[in-house]
Amino acid sequence: MFRRSLSVCCRQIGKTFLSTLPEDVGLPSNLKLPPNLISTAKRERPSPVGSGLPVLRKCEIEIPPQLSAKQAWLESLKDDTLGLVELHPDVFAVPPRLDILHEVIVWQRNFKRISHAKVKTRAEVRGGGRKPWQQKGSGRARHGSIRSPLWRGGGIAHGPRGPTSYYYMLPMKVRVLGLKVALSTKLAQDYLHIIDSLEIPTPEPQYLLDLAKQRQWGESVLIVDVHEDMPENILKATANLKTINLMPVIGLNVYSMLKHETVLLTVDAVNFLEKKLLWHDHRYSPLYPFRLPYNDFP
Amino acid sequence: MMSLHFQANYCVSASSSQTYPGITESTEEYKYVERLIPPSSVPTPPKHDQYPTPSGWRPPAAVPPALPYMVRRSRMHNVPVYSDITHGNRKMTIVRKIEGDIWALEKDLKDFLTHTSGTTPLMQVNEVNMSIRIKGSFDKDLKSWLLEKGF
Repeated sequence: MFRRSLSVCCRQIGKTFLSTLPEDVGLPSNLKLPPNLISTAKRERPSPVGSGLPVLRKCEIEIPPQLSAKQAWLESLKDDTLGLVELHPDVFAVPPRLDILHEVIVWQRNFKRISHAKVKTRAEVRGGGRKPWQQKGSGRARHGSIRSPLWRGGGIAHGPRGPTSYYYMLPMKVRVLGLKVALSTKLAQDYLHIIDSLEIPTPEPQYLLDLAKQRQWGESVLIVDVHEDMPENILKATANLKTINLMPVIGLNVYSMLKHETVLLTVDAVNFLEKKLLWHDHRYSPLYPFRLPYNDFP
Repeated sequence: MMSLHFQANYCVSASSSQTYPGITESTEEYKYVERLIPPSSVPTPPKHDQYPTPSGWRPPAAVPPALPYMVRRSRMHNVPVYSDITHGNRKMTIVRKIEGDIWALEKDLKDFLTHTSGTTPLMQVNEVNMSIRIKGSFDKDLKSWLLEKGF
């Protein structure tokens, strides 16, 4: 009884002591925030639905009757907001399947992996062909070779053997759904912006950094256009920047979208994505690989 | 003698090669190849005069029903009700491609199935996949019920 009351007292004393200390005492060092941090909370943008700005881009592909198009702001890298853009709900308003995002990201990290770890077995280690001493009579333990895994300098019994490949492919539809879920979640969390073109007035990287700070895009920006031939100014500006990256739309992937805080899509990229991603919803199973010609391949 | 005969033949072919017609490329016959290449996406079904069609197919209602849930058609334009069987004797029915309030659909399904079969079947609602798994084989009943609703 006395011991229990003592432990309860110690816990109470500990609690009062801990409350005097700062909050992040128990946190690991990489999660502790510096005390002089000026954190500005991201100001919320007004919703594009109620505003009177004109809709500058409508969906080309039919939207199912029970759903309505998602509206987003159409911005520019040079001027202010230009208007509204309508996005297809089956690409940009898909239910947030976090398990599919996890699957696709794990696949992206592992399918390219080839681990080159290799160790020698008792057969490959130099030497060890002869029986070190006779079986009986020497008084020592019985051994057959000096390179058995029991010996110092011997081979490894069940070590990594040779280059191993971790290649596997997720079904095409899962990967497509992963892209749709990533785009939908980015749009829902206000991290997706649609821009009209990639033209900027100067090839200075500082222009893009100031723009990102002013518009509160976050630490890293991924800019996606349809083709690789982008205006020279933006190519020069992003050449030496690590946090702002350019990408053609064929290279869009879930890992990059989640790695960068904001994603900027041009209107052409949105058209391309809608066409390609919605085709998977009503396509046949491949009779022969899709890289061979079909009648109406998008 | 043999060599003379051979030379005579060779001379004949050499004289005809002077009027060689040459090669003409024509891409007009490619249309016979093009019409054999299959399409990659499922076409929208044509408009019939009378529904249901001889196979029993009916299109979804033009205006979606005013319910808190929606059941989409599959890519082949069929109602997404499937039967599953495990262990050789455990029959189940799955309703897939549900959107909206899945619990309202589960309640309606329960009412309908208790009305038809008498006992309340066990149902599993999978909110992540948006599908409902029902113990027992009710695929024909559920298909007709969903078609009546207009899905």
